[in-house]
Amino acid sequence: MAAPLTLLLLVAVTVRAALYRSSLADLISERVEVVSPLTAWKRVVEGLALLDLGVSPYSGDVFHETPLIIYLFHFLVDYAEITFMLADVITAVALYLSVKDYNKQVFRKQKYALEADRYPLDCLELIRSPKEMQYIPLKVAMFYLLNPFTILSCVAKSTCGLNNAVIALFVLSTIKGNVLLSAIFLSLATYQSIYPLTLCAAALLYLLQRQYIPVNLRRFSFWWFVAQYAFMYLGSLFVIVGLSFFLLGSWDFLPSVYGFILSVPDLTPNIGLFWYFFAEMFEHFRLFFLCVFQINVFFYTVPLSIKLKEHPVFLIFMQLAVISIFKSYPTVGDIAASFIKHHKASSASSLNIFLVSCVLLACSALFPVLWHLWIYAGSANSNFYYAITLLFNVAQILLVSDYFYAFLRREHHLSHGLYLKRKDGSEATLVLK
Amino acid sequence: MKILTLLSLLATHLSASSVNIEENAGQFFSSGHTNNWAVLVCTSRFWFNYRHVANTLSVYRSVKRLGIPDSHIVLMLADDMACNHRNPKPATVFSHKNMELNVYGDDVEVDYRGYEVTVENFLRVLTGRLPPSTPRSKRLLSDDRSNILIYLTGHGGNGFLKFQDSEEISNVELADAFEQMWQKRRYNELLFIIDTCQGASMYERFYSPNLMALASSQVGEDSLSHQPDLAIGVHLMDRYTFYLLEFLEDIHPSSKANMNDLFKVCPKSQCVSTPGHRTDLFLRDPGSALITDFFGSVRKVEITMETINLTEPIQQVEQNFVNEERQKETYSYVDQLPVSEIIHQKPKQKDWHPPDGFILGLWTLILLVFFKTYGMKHLKHIF
Repeated sequence: MAAPLTLLLLVAVTVRAALYRSSLADLISERVEVVSPLTAWKRVVEGLALLDLGVSPYSGDVFHETPLIIYLFHFLVDYAEITFMLADVITAVALYLSVKDYNKQVFRKQKYALEADRYPLDCLELIRSPKEMQYIPLKVAMFYLLNPFTILSCVAKSTCGLNNAVIALFVLSTIKGNVLLSAIFLSLATYQSIYPLTLCAAALLYLLQRQYIPVNLRRFSFWWFVAQYAFMYLGSLFVIVGLSFFLLGSWDFLPSVYGFILSVPDLTPNIGLFWYFFAEMFEHFRLFFLCVFQINVFFYTVPLSIKLKEHPVFLIFMQLAVISIFKSYPTVGDIAASFIKHHKASSASSLNIFLVSCVLLACSALFPVLWHLWIYAGSANSNFYYAITLLFNVAQILLVSDYFYAFLRREHHLSHGLYLKRKDGSEATLVLK
Repeated sequence: MKILTLLSLLATHLSASSVNIEENAGQFFSSGHTNNWAVLVCTSRFWFNYRHVANTLSVYRSVKRLGIPDSHIVLMLADDMACNHRNPKPATVFSHKNMELNVYGDDVEVDYRGYEVTVENFLRVLTGRLPPSTPRSKRLLSDDRSNILIYLTGHGGNGFLKFQDSEEISNVELADAFEQMWQKRRYNELLFIIDTCQGASMYERFYSPNLMALASSQVGEDSLSHQPDLAIGVHLMDRYTFYLLEFLEDIHPSSKANMNDLFKVCPKSQCVSTPGHRTDLFLRDPGSALITDFFGSVRKVEITMETINLTEPIQQVEQNFVNEERQKETYSYVDQLPVSEIIHQKPKQKDWHPPDGFILGLWTLILLVFFKTYGMKHLKHIF
């Protein structure tokens, strides 16, 4: 497996290097779909320049990344391209390893289930065999590396790539079962953008199951583990925030980074849902709608984790998708991270993948067109661009719900058989309510 | 002998001229003004009122020639004759037929042009009540030591002057404006010349002190135009201003001609109308008021009998130098800006470095996590 992976990495690095050398790099790094005020490379450079001039990089509304990014790029600013390519490579390798490990566990669980005769006889074709899952890790890595969104995000040197790398490392450490590392990577991811906080529940569920601690609210061992994890997570978060304070000697990174993410002051158009609403909202209602929009991101954690408590890894990917749709400044890099779930071989049961993918492709093509029409030609206006944004997000939501449906349907088939019968014996179909 | 006579003649001539100098010097200070302003207004539009623009421009030209700078002239022309498409010689405005004298020239500065020449703007200029955004060139920034020349020309009637074919200024308004100027101490002495039909009616209502007024015609009379030019096709000048221009062409900055000469300009034989003037409000004798008091610009010259020996101070320093026998550094001008530093040295940029405590803490933590994850057995490979 190492050789095809290495080949894949080489191809990906070549593609990115080629694009870096071309003239497209400047063009891409200015597109609002690819960079946001949080992740733009231009702002990182600006922040470092301000620091060299003796001014705090957070003064003025320029730089909204965390101080650790300052520390990292203070030394690596000349090698930025290599850094971002390396981040992509790390993400892909981490995903590869994590999926490989996860497959092993899936097979183990399946073996136990088969031996325990838990599957009805007619759904044997749904059971995954090692043979068909052999190339899945490679496919996942390929999906991520050769995804045009990822390539665009890397060429634009958007710090979203670094965020994705940390999340991928978190996934890897969670699946490997390392509680400390999982907590640390999760706190790093949360430190950079607040939203991975929702992955806490999924990680907890997975780690609990891995250690065979029953997820029962009344058991002490459950709470003890939760307390341990929370302690490690919060402790490392505080340590990292404290270190950031010592780096620059002031706390003004807190309002600049977290205040910025949460209160959304910058309304530059992007592929998210926030900018249009808040551009025309009255000041009186702004706080209310801000709370509504932000709670929307975190809200799906509890219902999803209740429903998917048997399948925490799927929960992780669902959460990632939800974050990338509903976060305040999404970019295509986040979308790329959310497409990782494509490796689920349950596309046979999903309803309208084709339609949704066509919509996504069409929207991606229409983004620059309508942007040009709005900003440069002046014959469209923000409504056109927002319509495409809405459509893009709706397609993403449909995709997420599609996969959810497919997954659930497969699980249902596995427990109740492939040919479903109602109580009176007639044929029935599954509907996602 | 001859040399002696020559010398004596020279001496007497010199003494006589020196006496003249004293007289001249004395005369310089008799008027009491320190600066001169001119407000020259042409109030008519349309091509057939070419002569009004030419009137104003000829007075402008004289006034500039005699020393008043453009910054002290407010020139208001209601229409552009020089660039009018009916002008066969564009960029020219002639005052004499056969195109003898181009009063437009190439350094005309028109401050109010076209539709900006309104009664309101004229009165605002006079009284100084302009919006704060008005540029200096459009303001009459006179003080109580200013002698102002105000020249109006256009179409008028008994008690009014027509502006732009759509509005009028009355003699009462004008008198009140001058009273405002007097109360605001905006002039020392004011000479008002108007060349319109029934022009004398415009100065009938004046009541402020130190005003002298001249008009081209009495009430009931029309001021007539002088001569048409057949190539241009319109009358070029009005009679009164034509002869006024002729008179002013003979005036030079040190001329001693006074107001009484000005009153004699354009008698009835030449002007057909009877020019009028009003001097009852003028506190000085008109004979003592020079033409150049209003049409030219005065330069204050102080004559002193003292002589200043310029060489002494330098000698003083040198003596000190020799006496004290101290090594003094050579004096040189200090650079206002540290030019040499700016050019030759780039400012040294202080690079920011992360604090040492931070680096220490961060890498300690990373190492701790690494060892915790992978077990302590790796430690023995390092130590």
